[in-house]
Amino acid sequence: MTLWFIRGLRRGVVTTRYPARPDPSARFLPTPPAFRPRALTRETAGRLAATCPSGALRLDDLTLVYDVGRCTACGRCAAEAPAAVQSSGEFELAATVRSELIKRIPLRETS
Amino acid sequence: MTAEELQETIARQFGRSLHIRTLDTGSCAVCEQEIRLLAAPHYDLQRLGFFFTPAPRHADLLLVTGPMIRAFEVAARKTYDAMPGPKIVVATGACALGGVYPADPFTHGTVDAVLPVDVWIPGCPPSPLALLQGLGVAVGRLAGKVRDLPFTVDDDPERTRGDS
Repeated sequence: MTLWFIRGLRRGVVTTRYPARPDPSARFLPTPPAFRPRALTRETAGRLAATCPSGALRLDDLTLVYDVGRCTACGRCAAEAPAAVQSSGEFELAATVRSELIKRIPLRETS
Repeated sequence: MTAEELQETIARQFGRSLHIRTLDTGSCAVCEQEIRLLAAPHYDLQRLGFFFTPAPRHADLLLVTGPMIRAFEVAARKTYDAMPGPKIVVATGACALGGVYPADPFTHGTVDAVLPVDVWIPGCPPSPLALLQGLGVAVGRLAGKVRDLPFTVDDDPERTRGDS
């Protein structure tokens, strides 16, 4: 008991705060998509919005409205248009306001 | 009381000891699996001062998963009312945020149709680290960073995707 107590005092606190370094397993997890506006035509965006099974993608007039909250990171949009969509690698997504999760992705101007 | 004062109160009152009650409102239980992993040694929720409690009367934070099925609405309200104030409601997972089920005669589709939600954690399911960040945001220890994420990449579209 005494030995244990002294060893504990010598080593100090061994727990850490909120992860200072990234979780090594995080890169294997599916993450929400990130879009490449340069490759995102209106036609592609329409296809993505039709593909999304959870209704997270919606085509507004000249933007693609992306609701991160609804996204299940299933990757169907990335499979549909690999040139325009890739995995974002972001997972720290908590928000205190719902509208912070709704992103407006600009489309490429077609002239 | 302004929002900033409330934030400060929550940080002061809950900063070192916060008790969590989980509430499953019809989820597929994968969110629950991730929540259970929070207590495992790798993530070790307790070191941060968060604890799971079996009773809503002892809870400061309600971690709600699932699309809020209508059959559960009364129980959800009773759970919320039984909690002592100040209390925080965290909606967890794409179901709770309205992504999976539409509002229909069986489900509300979102948690905030019934309970006042303070923090939203997206993901299907949210990984334990995402949950941990969400809890940190809920008690005001971490700043939410999703507002500044554009979810766009601005590199050359002609570059081939050789990595996948």
